[in-house]
Amino acid sequence: MNEKELLKGNIAIAKAALNCGCSCYFGYPITPQTEIGEYLSEEMQEKKLAFVCAESEIAAINMALGAATSGAKVMTTSSSCAVSLMQESLSYATSDELPIVLVNVMRAGPGQGYIYPSQGDYNQATIGGGNGDYKTIVLAPSTVQECIDMTYRVFYLSQKYKTPAILLLDGLLGQMAEPAIVGVNPYPEIDNSSWVLDGAKNRPSRKIHSLEPDQTKLNQHIFKLHQKFMQIEQNEIDYEEFMCDDAEYIITAFGSMARSAKTVCEFYRSHGVKFGVFRPKTLYPFPAKRLAELSQKVKLIIDIEMNLGQMLRDVRLAVLQNTQISFIGKPVGDWLKPNEIIKTIDNIIGEKYATSL
Amino acid sequence: MQQVYSKPKSIKENSSFTFCSGCDHGLAIKLVAEVIDELNLQEETIAVASSGCSVFLYDFLDVDCVESPHGRACAVATGIKRAHRAKGDDKFVFTYQGDGDFASIGIAESLHSALRGENITAICINNTNYGMTGGQLAPTTVMGQITTTSPTGRNKEYHGYPIKAAEHIALCDGTSFSARVALYDVKNIINTKKQIKKAFEYQKRGLGFSFIEILSSCPTNWKLSPQDSHKKIEEKLSKVYPLKVFKDIENE
Repeated sequence: MNEKELLKGNIAIAKAALNCGCSCYFGYPITPQTEIGEYLSEEMQEKKLAFVCAESEIAAINMALGAATSGAKVMTTSSSCAVSLMQESLSYATSDELPIVLVNVMRAGPGQGYIYPSQGDYNQATIGGGNGDYKTIVLAPSTVQECIDMTYRVFYLSQKYKTPAILLLDGLLGQMAEPAIVGVNPYPEIDNSSWVLDGAKNRPSRKIHSLEPDQTKLNQHIFKLHQKFMQIEQNEIDYEEFMCDDAEYIITAFGSMARSAKTVCEFYRSHGVKFGVFRPKTLYPFPAKRLAELSQKVKLIIDIEMNLGQMLRDVRLAVLQNTQISFIGKPVGDWLKPNEIIKTIDNIIGEKYATSL
Repeated sequence: MQQVYSKPKSIKENSSFTFCSGCDHGLAIKLVAEVIDELNLQEETIAVASSGCSVFLYDFLDVDCVESPHGRACAVATGIKRAHRAKGDDKFVFTYQGDGDFASIGIAESLHSALRGENITAICINNTNYGMTGGQLAPTTVMGQITTTSPTGRNKEYHGYPIKAAEHIALCDGTSFSARVALYDVKNIINTKKQIKKAFEYQKRGLGFSFIEILSSCPTNWKLSPQDSHKKIEEKLSKVYPLKVFKDIENE
């Protein structure tokens, strides 16, 4: 566990989930995340943990909802078009205040699209595809090591705030192998004895529901959830700054796209052009305040995504009104390579550094 | 003086049913509460309520309860049962659903729970229409029945045929018990309680998925008096939906 292993992103997530005490997994196959369920099927049956090959993603997320009422650490994993099917229950679970971990290893869309890598579900994850006033915690790893670290964190945050939380990565990271250490879960266990459903023994019976015919109570409930989201925004923002201190140009990118962004940044630095990379690790809550501070001293922000500009909206909302922002994006397929990005950036900034590539 | 009748212990104190007059939901919930008391299950029960009139179960039944998204009660119950089993605990888990919930939007979750032999019990209140929304055509609406979305009566050209849930569930290998019962007279009320008890006992014995379909009245949407509603169940509905045990694993 404390040694470096060569791990695929998907397997790393499965190992970390088991290692931090995930005792319930419900899933339905979909590429490019199926290895998570395959890996867990063997391990969890051996340990007599809860593992169900659900009849659909709808059933899987609702089994997760049921299991979450027990206070257990619960996970389901899926991909894009199938995550769409789960949105109703994310909305329910948020209102019910139930901790559920959902891993979305993104493929390309809309619709069935294909299994190519993409970051097309940023909006769905952060804004929410379900009904009503709610938010979902979203963490975006950039390396296999972060797949592990953020799996620990996503379970912790979900339990701490009693709310669904998403680990959002693209198929590239799910399928890519890198050396990583599974290590130990660094987060404390959360005491959930005050709300779980385990039979009304020596206490009054409990009910967990989102239905509320009383208008005043429903308002109070939604305001209470809102307060919780404000707390999450206060406490849990996480991001990485790569050479941002003196940067004149900042690239914003999340997930594995940030890897190319860093290569591009190093290339320009080697030519004396001050580039930096700002990478949100929490997509919700988005690190808007820090990005706003950084934007005060840069000439240009270049947002790069494997979609047609979804995080771009959050970037625009975060920075000062007169900040210049450019966008480089491609919705699907071959990963945006550093060379391609550099050529495009040259055009944007009116330079010809790409000739030295 | 000896007290010969009291409210079941598992019905919440100071609660009174809020269902329409003559609706069978109240009676069905009372019978469930009596069986919970008799089998001493109150402290180990987790009930799953669903969407529709059946959701109000948790206002009356004094056990731990979670509301399920529409149709997913059997999936939610599966999650609950398995999560506790993973901790080495066996909790008593049952769903309380309407016919639209169990047999229309939730048919996949219902059938697959039975096929997995999920060790839970499902109770389906079949009143042949979507009650809470004002009486629309349901998968259980019988041929010729007038609803707000079948104004000239259910016909095969537009609507196809009704589903017989208890028969379908009985066909699943994972089912331990499947029965259809009714509440239109004392004899049937007594039988309903007996069958609920059996279904609950089968879960306690770990025999697999147990299922009770209760033919129930919906006087408001049927536009009949409570008496005539029960008469309709006795004379018409029970002919389309036979009242019997379709599967009992003990008798095989």
